[in-house]
Amino acid sequence: MKRRHLIIAPAILTAVFWGGAGFAQDKVLRFATWDSDESLAIQEAIARKFEEANPGVKVQVEAYGDGYDDKLTAAMGAGDPPDVMYMWNYPSYYQALMPMDDMIARDGEAMNLADIPPGLMNGAVIEGKTYAMPVGFTTHVIFYNKDLLAAAGVAEPAAGWTWADLRAAAAKLSNPGEKTYGFAVDAKPDPFDFEQFFWSNGAQYISDDGKTLDGVMNSPEAAEVLTMFADMVKSGEAIALNIGDETSGSSLFKTGKLAMLEGAMWNKGGIDESGVNYGVAVLPAFGDKPVKSTINASGISIAKDADDPELAWEFVKFFSSPEAVAMRTNDLPIRNSVAESSGKTTDPKFAPFFAMLASGDGTTPAFLKNAEWGRIQENLAVAIEGTMIDQGNAQAHLDEAVAASARFLK
Amino acid sequence: MRKTLGYSALIFLTALFAAPFVWTLITALKTEAELYAYPPVFWPAELKWENFSNAWTALPFTTFLKNSVIVVVLSTVGQLASSSLVAYGFARFHFRGRDPLFVLLLATMMIPWDVKMIPLYMEFNLLGWINTLKPLIVPAWFGEAFFIFLLRQYIMTIPMEIDEAARMDGANAWQIYWRIHLPLMAPALVLVGTFHFMNAWNDYLGPLIYLNDQSTYTLPLGLALFKGLHEVDYISIAAITVILCLPPLALFFYAQRYIMDNALGSSVKG
Amino acid sequence: MATAPATPRPSRRKARGAGITPWLFISPWILGFLFFTLGPLVFSFVMSLHDWPIVGTREFIGLENYRTMLQDDPQFWKSLWITVKFAGLFVPLNIVLSFLLAVLLNLNLRGTAIYRTAFYLPSVISGVALVTIWSWIYSNEYGLLNYLLSFVGIDGPNWLGDRTWGIVAITVASLWGLGGSMLIFLAGLQSIPKELYEAARVSGVPPWAQIIYITLPMLSPMILFTLITSIISAFQQLTIALLLTDGGPVNSTYFFAMYIYKTAFRFHDMGYAAAMSWVMFLIILILSMLVMRWSAAWVYYEGQARKDDADA
Repeated sequence: MKRRHLIIAPAILTAVFWGGAGFAQDKVLRFATWDSDESLAIQEAIARKFEEANPGVKVQVEAYGDGYDDKLTAAMGAGDPPDVMYMWNYPSYYQALMPMDDMIARDGEAMNLADIPPGLMNGAVIEGKTYAMPVGFTTHVIFYNKDLLAAAGVAEPAAGWTWADLRAAAAKLSNPGEKTYGFAVDAKPDPFDFEQFFWSNGAQYISDDGKTLDGVMNSPEAAEVLTMFADMVKSGEAIALNIGDETSGSSLFKTGKLAMLEGAMWNKGGIDESGVNYGVAVLPAFGDKPVKSTINASGISIAKDADDPELAWEFVKFFSSPEAVAMRTNDLPIRNSVAESSGKTTDPKFAPFFAMLASGDGTTPAFLKNAEWGRIQENLAVAIEGTMIDQGNAQAHLDEAVAASARFLK
Repeated sequence: MRKTLGYSALIFLTALFAAPFVWTLITALKTEAELYAYPPVFWPAELKWENFSNAWTALPFTTFLKNSVIVVVLSTVGQLASSSLVAYGFARFHFRGRDPLFVLLLATMMIPWDVKMIPLYMEFNLLGWINTLKPLIVPAWFGEAFFIFLLRQYIMTIPMEIDEAARMDGANAWQIYWRIHLPLMAPALVLVGTFHFMNAWNDYLGPLIYLNDQSTYTLPLGLALFKGLHEVDYISIAAITVILCLPPLALFFYAQRYIMDNALGSSVKG
Repeated sequence: MATAPATPRPSRRKARGAGITPWLFISPWILGFLFFTLGPLVFSFVMSLHDWPIVGTREFIGLENYRTMLQDDPQFWKSLWITVKFAGLFVPLNIVLSFLLAVLLNLNLRGTAIYRTAFYLPSVISGVALVTIWSWIYSNEYGLLNYLLSFVGIDGPNWLGDRTWGIVAITVASLWGLGGSMLIFLAGLQSIPKELYEAARVSGVPPWAQIIYITLPMLSPMILFTLITSIISAFQQLTIALLLTDGGPVNSTYFFAMYIYKTAFRFHDMGYAAAMSWVMFLIILILSMLVMRWSAAWVYYEGQARKDDADA
C-alpha cells in the first residue's frame, strides 16, 4: 500500500509540473489591484474591454485584497513587480516605477489632462516626475440616517455646518443603553485619512519641508482636534471604534445603530444595498475655519522594467479614458466630463463629495514630505489611540509622539 | 467517582473549545442585522443556508479547492517520506558531525520568515516557480525541522533491542527503517501527516507571496478576499471558514484512532 | 557533549560501521538546507549590514543597524520585553494544560473520540478566521464574552482595548490552539507500556503518583519537544496579534516578531529588519541550547537507557 503511494506521488508531481503552462499564444499583461468584491468585478470588466480592443492580449488581474502591501513589498524587493499596479506609496516605490511624463505628452490629446482636477494628479509627482495616472478617487463626507434624525427631531445637516452642530445632534441621537449612537469615532484611524481634521483646524502633521514636528504635530490646534473626539466618546455622543473591536462604523450605520457616519465612497455601495434611508453632507467645520478633506486617489503605475512598456501604457491610457472612468461606479470619476455627463455633480448623494474635492486644494499629505513618515506615523497613531482610550490627555500624548519621532528627523 | 469527575471536566472543556466554532457556524447562518444585534442573537430567526452557496460562488472557490488539494496531497506525501528518513538517520546512527548538524536543524526552525521571504522569492523567481504551486510543494520533499525533530523524539522512545535483534537477523539499515521503524512510527507519522495537512491547508502567507493569478489561488487566499481594505464580509468569511474546517476535521476524526488507539497494532513497546 | 542535545552515548561498534549510510538517510534535509535555507540565511545576513530599502540604492553600513537597535531604539527593547512576558505566560500554560488534557483523554472514557476532536477543533481553523472569531468574542460592544459575564454580574473589561488585558487576551487566544501539543502528548502516552501501570496499581501506587513516577519520565522526550517548539512559537507570535490588536492598545502587544514584520513590510527597511531577525534568531537559539543542556537532567530516552545499561 505505502510502497505504491510512493511510486504514484512522483508521477503526479511530474504531471503537475509539466502541465498548466497556459496562455501560450497570448501576450500576458499583469495587473495587480488591492480591491475586492464589487470594485474588483468592475476592474475585471474594464480589463475584459481592453482585451476585446486588443486581440491577442490577456490581462491577468491579480487581486490580493488587504494582503496587497505585503505582496507588493515581496515582489518589489525581489525585483518581480507586476507590469501595471495600483499604487499609493510613491515615496517607497518610485525608483522601481516608470515616469509617465513623456507618454502623457506624446498622447496629450487622448489623455486630455485639462479634464482631470489637478489635485488628483499632484499626489503621484515625485521630484517633478509623474509616476501614476489617477483612475478613481474619493473624498470624505458624513452619511446620515434620515429616519433616525427625523425620529429624534434633529434637523438634517446643511452646508456650512460645524462640529458643534454635529455634537449637539449626536447627543440627541445617542442611546448607549440600546447600543445606538449619534456618531462613531475611529480610535485607530489610518493617519492618512485623519489628517483632514488637522487641516480643517488649521494644523498639519509635519512642516512643509518635512523637517519639523515639534510645535506642528503637537500644536494646540492639533491637540484640540484629538480632545474634541475624545470628549465625544466621554460624553457618550459617539462610540469609539477600533478599540478592541473589529466592528466597523459602516456596519453599524447599515443596521440602523449609528445615525451619522464619517465615510467615503467605499462605504456608499454597502449603504445603498442595506436600504437605509440616508443623506450625504459635507464634513463639518471647526468654527469658521475652512473645511478640508483628504483625497484618496487610486493611481495605476507601470513597473520600470515591465516586459512590454508600450502595452502597459496602452492599458493605463485605457484605464483613465472616459469610457473606463464611466464604468467605475464604486468610486468617483476623475474626469470632469464624466462627472457632469453622469449627473453626479448635481445628485445630492454625490455633490458633497465633489464639494470636498474642491476644498482639498493646497494640502500635501505628510507621507510625501518625509521618507521616514511610516515610522513617525506609528507614534502618531499611538497618540491618537491613547487619547481615545484615556478619553483625554491629548497634549501629553502628542508631545510623547513628537519626542519618540525625533530620531527619524535627520 | 473518578469517572464522574472526568466526564464533567471533559464536557465542560468540550463546550469551551467547541463554542467559538459553533458560534462561527451560527454566524454563517445570520443576516447582517443579526450579526450586529445586541444582545447577541444565539439562534437566527431564519437559518440562511444560502449564505454558504452565495459565499462559495462569489469567487471561484472550486478552482481554489482544486489547487489546495493538489498542494496538500503532494506536500504531505513528501513531508512524510523525507522527515521519517531524516529522523531515523538522526535517531539511530552515530556519525561525525551529527550533533552540530542536529543543532543546525533545530536552528532552522528559529529563523523568522520575514527576512527569508524575499531571498526565497528571488530564488523561486529564478527557477521560474512564481505563480505555480511548486514553492508550496517542493520544499516539503526535503523535510521540515519541526517534523524531523518530532519523529526523532518518537524513535528515541523505542528500545534499541529491536534494532539489535533485526541486525542479528541480517537486516541492513534500510530494511530496519522500512520494515521495523516505519510501522512502529505509524502513530507519529499519522500525527505528522495530520499536522502538515493542516498547515498546508491553512497556509495564507506562502500562497499570497508566491501566487499571482486567481487560477492558482488556494482556499485561504480566497477566504482573505472577503476582507477588503475598507469593507469586510463577515458572514461569507464565517461560511467559508466552516467549510474550510470540515476536511481537516474529518481527516482528524478518522486519523485519531491510528494516533492513539494503537489501531495499527504496534504492540512492540516495552 | 557541549552541544549534544541529550543524545545516546555512542556505541563504539556502530560508530565504526556507520560509513555513508546515515548521510544517505539525512540527505533530503541536507539538500533542502542547501537549496532553500542556506542561501536566504546568508543573504539576510548581508542585508543586515546594509541600509537596504525595498527598492533603490543599498549602502553598506557595517554593524550600524545592530548599534542603532541596541542603543537608539527604545521600541526594540519594549517589543523584546513584551515578547518575553508573553512567552512567560504562554509556554508553561501551553505545556501544563495540554499535558493535563492529554492525561484526561487517555482515561479512555466513553466518547473520547468526540472530545479529542473538539479539543483539536480550534487548531484546524485558519489564522484569519480564528482572529475574526476572537474579535467577536472579545468585542467590547457586541462581544459574546462580556455578554455572558454580565449574567454573573461581572462588568467585563474591554479585553482588546485595555493596556493590561490585551496581552492576556492574546495568550488565551493562542492557548486555544493547544490541540497540537495535546496530540503530541497523546501519541507519546501510547508508547508507555501498559504493564508499568498494571504493576503500579497492583503495588497500590495512587494515580497521582503514577503520573509523576511513570507518565512524566516516560513522556519527557515529548515534553522537551513541546517546550522547545513552544518557545519558538512564542517568540515568533505574529498572526494573532497582528490581526487581533495590530500591536495595540497603545503598543502593549507590539511583539518583537511584529516589529520585525512591520520594519520589513511597512517601513520597507529590509536591512534593519534582517538585523533584528538575526538578534531574535540568536536569542531563541541560546534559549533552546540552554533548555537542551538542562534537559539532560530530566529527559529519559527509553531507546538509550537500555543501551547504556547494556554497555555498562
